[in-house]
Amino acid sequence: MAEPSIYFSEVNERQGVFHRRAFLMGGFAGLGMAALGGRLAYLQLMETQRYEKLATSNQFNFKLVPAPRGVIVDRHGAILAANRPNFRLLVARHDDTDTEATLQALGNYVPIDDARRRRLLREINAAPKRAPVSVVEDMSWEQFSAINVRSPEMPNVTADMGEVRVYPHGGAFAHVIGYVAKVNREDMEAVGPNADPILLHPGFRIGKQGVEKAFDLQLRGKPGAKKVEVDANGREVRQDADGDIRPTPGAEIELTLDLDVQLRAEQVFEAESGAAVVMDVRNGDILCLFSGPSFDANRFVRGLTGPEYRALATYDHKPLFNKALTATYPPGSTFKTVVALAALEAGIDPALTHTCSGSWYFGRRWKCDEVHGVQNMTSAIASSCDIFFYQTALAVGPDRIADMARRFGLGEVFDIGIPGQKKGLVPDTDYKRRNFPRDPKWHPGETPSMGIGQGYTHLNPLQLCVMAARMANGSKALHPRLIRSVGGIEQKSGAEWGDLPVDSKHIAFVQNAMKAVTTVGTARFAADLGLGPVKMAGKTGTAQGYNYGSGRGVHGTQGAWRLRDHAWFVAYAPYDAPRYALSVLVEHGGFGAAAAAPRAREIMRTVLLKDPEIRQRVQSPTPLPELPPDVRNDSDLPEPPGAEEATAPPTAAPA
Amino acid sequence: MTVSALTRPGERDRLIVKFSEIDWLFVLAMSLIAGTGGLMLFSIGGLSWDPWAAQHAMRFALCLAMMVALALVDIRVWFAIAYPIYAIGLLLLVAVEVVGDTRLGAQRWLSAGPVSFQPSEVMKLGIVLALARFYHSTSAHRAQLSWWLLIPAAMIGAPVLLVAHQPDLGTAMLILMTGVAIVVLAGLSWKIIAAGALGFLAVVPPFVLFVMHDYQRERVLNFLHPERDPSGTGYHSLQSMIALGSGGLLGKGYGLGSQSQLDYLPEKQTDFIFATLAEEFGFLGCISVLILYAAVIFMALRTAFLSHSHFGRLAAAGVTATFTLYVMINGAMVMGLAPVVGVPMPLLSYGGTVMLTVMIGFGLVQSVRVHRYAEVTSGKGSIL
Repeated sequence: MAEPSIYFSEVNERQGVFHRRAFLMGGFAGLGMAALGGRLAYLQLMETQRYEKLATSNQFNFKLVPAPRGVIVDRHGAILAANRPNFRLLVARHDDTDTEATLQALGNYVPIDDARRRRLLREINAAPKRAPVSVVEDMSWEQFSAINVRSPEMPNVTADMGEVRVYPHGGAFAHVIGYVAKVNREDMEAVGPNADPILLHPGFRIGKQGVEKAFDLQLRGKPGAKKVEVDANGREVRQDADGDIRPTPGAEIELTLDLDVQLRAEQVFEAESGAAVVMDVRNGDILCLFSGPSFDANRFVRGLTGPEYRALATYDHKPLFNKALTATYPPGSTFKTVVALAALEAGIDPALTHTCSGSWYFGRRWKCDEVHGVQNMTSAIASSCDIFFYQTALAVGPDRIADMARRFGLGEVFDIGIPGQKKGLVPDTDYKRRNFPRDPKWHPGETPSMGIGQGYTHLNPLQLCVMAARMANGSKALHPRLIRSVGGIEQKSGAEWGDLPVDSKHIAFVQNAMKAVTTVGTARFAADLGLGPVKMAGKTGTAQGYNYGSGRGVHGTQGAWRLRDHAWFVAYAPYDAPRYALSVLVEHGGFGAAAAAPRAREIMRTVLLKDPEIRQRVQSPTPLPELPPDVRNDSDLPEPPGAEEATAPPTAAPA
Repeated sequence: MTVSALTRPGERDRLIVKFSEIDWLFVLAMSLIAGTGGLMLFSIGGLSWDPWAAQHAMRFALCLAMMVALALVDIRVWFAIAYPIYAIGLLLLVAVEVVGDTRLGAQRWLSAGPVSFQPSEVMKLGIVLALARFYHSTSAHRAQLSWWLLIPAAMIGAPVLLVAHQPDLGTAMLILMTGVAIVVLAGLSWKIIAAGALGFLAVVPPFVLFVMHDYQRERVLNFLHPERDPSGTGYHSLQSMIALGSGGLLGKGYGLGSQSQLDYLPEKQTDFIFATLAEEFGFLGCISVLILYAAVIFMALRTAFLSHSHFGRLAAAGVTATFTLYVMINGAMVMGLAPVVGVPMPLLSYGGTVMLTVMIGFGLVQSVRVHRYAEVTSGKGSIL
């Protein structure tokens, strides 16, 4: 440069400017530092609590722990559904681990085949990040410990102990109690957007059928929580047992069912298809609600394979179907009890006779199983004469029969706590008018078949049991009750539903006729309980599933199974002081007296023998009035049975 | 030693005298900050020297030795190599454009055998030296307002544009602001300063919208609206503020910060080391460290006042400006006052590059102090 290196004035001016401005810069720096200090004071002194809370919510996680599911017991406290420990293997998706390699490695300890691995991989990838998915359930202790030891090398794997539902009686209660299974997409959609977070827990199982489904919320209980310290990647650093929230176990549900009766029903049905319902006629308690053949609910908890499910779903005996509630059948001759009551109420003289010649002409030829000869109402019920009831029904008319049927609970859906009841159908002229617009008139030719429980009439086994129970009770419009108590709270009794608006004299008449069925009538052999003075009254039914005339239906047990008649038996016992009523249906079983009545007898025997009062009566010496008149010296004054006489020796009878 | 002794000719050139002229209080404050950094790195390393604390301490020791050595280098040598260093820096920046490595999506690194470094770091110092050198030979009148100012404008503009193109917006801004600080200190007309400030404000919004890369824009927008993305880029800011706030007055205790120990705090060993400190030692610890930083800044600035040469003044003030900007930007970022940019807390954070840059800068500052009476001749008549 050309200028001299130093101009004093210049130097001083430059220095002065620099000093002033450097001073200013120092001021700015000081201000900046003060601002930082102020901000620090604000964050650390004023906002501490807020950020402390945020830090804690970062640091600690509460992991949901499902509550033990409520136990389901029978009326005597026997366990029908409970929980047992289950060693589980869970795998979650992490950013820094290869899920497929993990599954490969796990294959060394537990069996995971290729198809299953692919399915699991899809499932894990579909789940939210770090949400564990159950890979293997029910590992052995050896498998559990082998994997647990190696889990530090596999951060995305956890082996833990959960609980799994167990049904100790396999198939006997499968239709009533249902089962639990993994929560699926439909379940999530059903509960909507505000789903209980426990539904996402890999160990949680939701009720899918029956009581498990209907009372799912009560059985679930309240989940607890485990307090764990987690790092930013969601890994557990340590647990804080003091911070745990204990789960509230689910409510215990007590059913009215009786384990022994239900098991006996399962036993007597063998491989047959059908249903059995037993009710206490004093309070409507359902002691037995069986549908056969059944399935093992435990398999559903574990998860069925495709072939297993297809086998159950396609079998023509329909094991997945609860036939006691969901299937309706023509009631056949069991319906004649109701027709008889309607006739009595319509003022028809029970002594009025019709003559059965095996067939009867009304528009067309109507047949009867046998040639019964001259029949009055009692004998027509006892021998199940169709010709008599064709004509009786015609005289009474469909509307009065339907009205009487409805008073006995036929065509009604009862609130027993579990879903799946079919209403069935009790037809009348109104029904015809509403449902057949092209042929709205009820033709007289349609009435005779209604008189023998055929035609449009379709009912489910529960309804027929209610009918038998109301018939036996005589005064109360009983409702069936399946759930005795939920969490210790007793449910409404089946006897608190009002009175049965039927003349008791008429009921006594039909009761007497049902007694004749089992003593001199169609079920005189099959319905003998063999319990001495304790006898059963009932009514057989053989319901036509298909029309014989078209050449398809098969009467009896010949021919194709699915074309045979349905066998019915409704009954109550003891016939002199009714306590229990039942209905038994054997689908395509042939004759009611042959297929249904013997099974009903065995089930009824079990029920009666469990009742201590009945047992006492069976064991004690036969009371006098039960003795045949010819062995007694003085037979002109038969005594009514009673408690005092039960223990009295035969010779002590009054003269 | 008395003042009169120092006035003896040749006395100031003795090595032992030079050594004693170094501001040891300044060195102490600096070492305390670096030591605190080591302490924090030991804590977040899981109370272990590995992987950070030991290296940090070793680096600082080496850098300190280097700083002392550089302090003894004659100010006239600094003066002489000012332009060459700037030229080399500029050449390296161009080289980076052509052959540089791409790391983390940005072309910032140059490799020479096993050593790889960022030329932009050279430029942080180069711009200070070159501008000081320029203004040393420029009259006050020219420095205030004249066509001569196009020269420093070009000197600042070239590296800033090159670094911004890498893209490393943080460093570019740092170089720009350091350069502007020196230009202002040298006596730029207030009119231009005012016009420049207004122009800057007018340019920022369109720049954010149209010129920035997506990730850069995201950061800025997330800073303005943290609730936009609490788990994405807003996450860093939020977690840092949680660490700070939850520290309270006295902190959670050494080694007990849940945010840093459980990895909630991102980049806890580098950019967010201050948040770790805040969490474990609370407000008192933070304020103490801030006071140490203030002390370092004001001691460095005082050196600028002491210098008898204009080059010395501007160089010391320029380094101080760079250091202050580091502290301010990082502090503001950690406290949620600025968007998350990759600027570490000098001396406290783990990381070699920035420590090296800062310590070389402080070597220059101490050289200015040691040679504050030296006559620096401008123009061709230099000692080399």
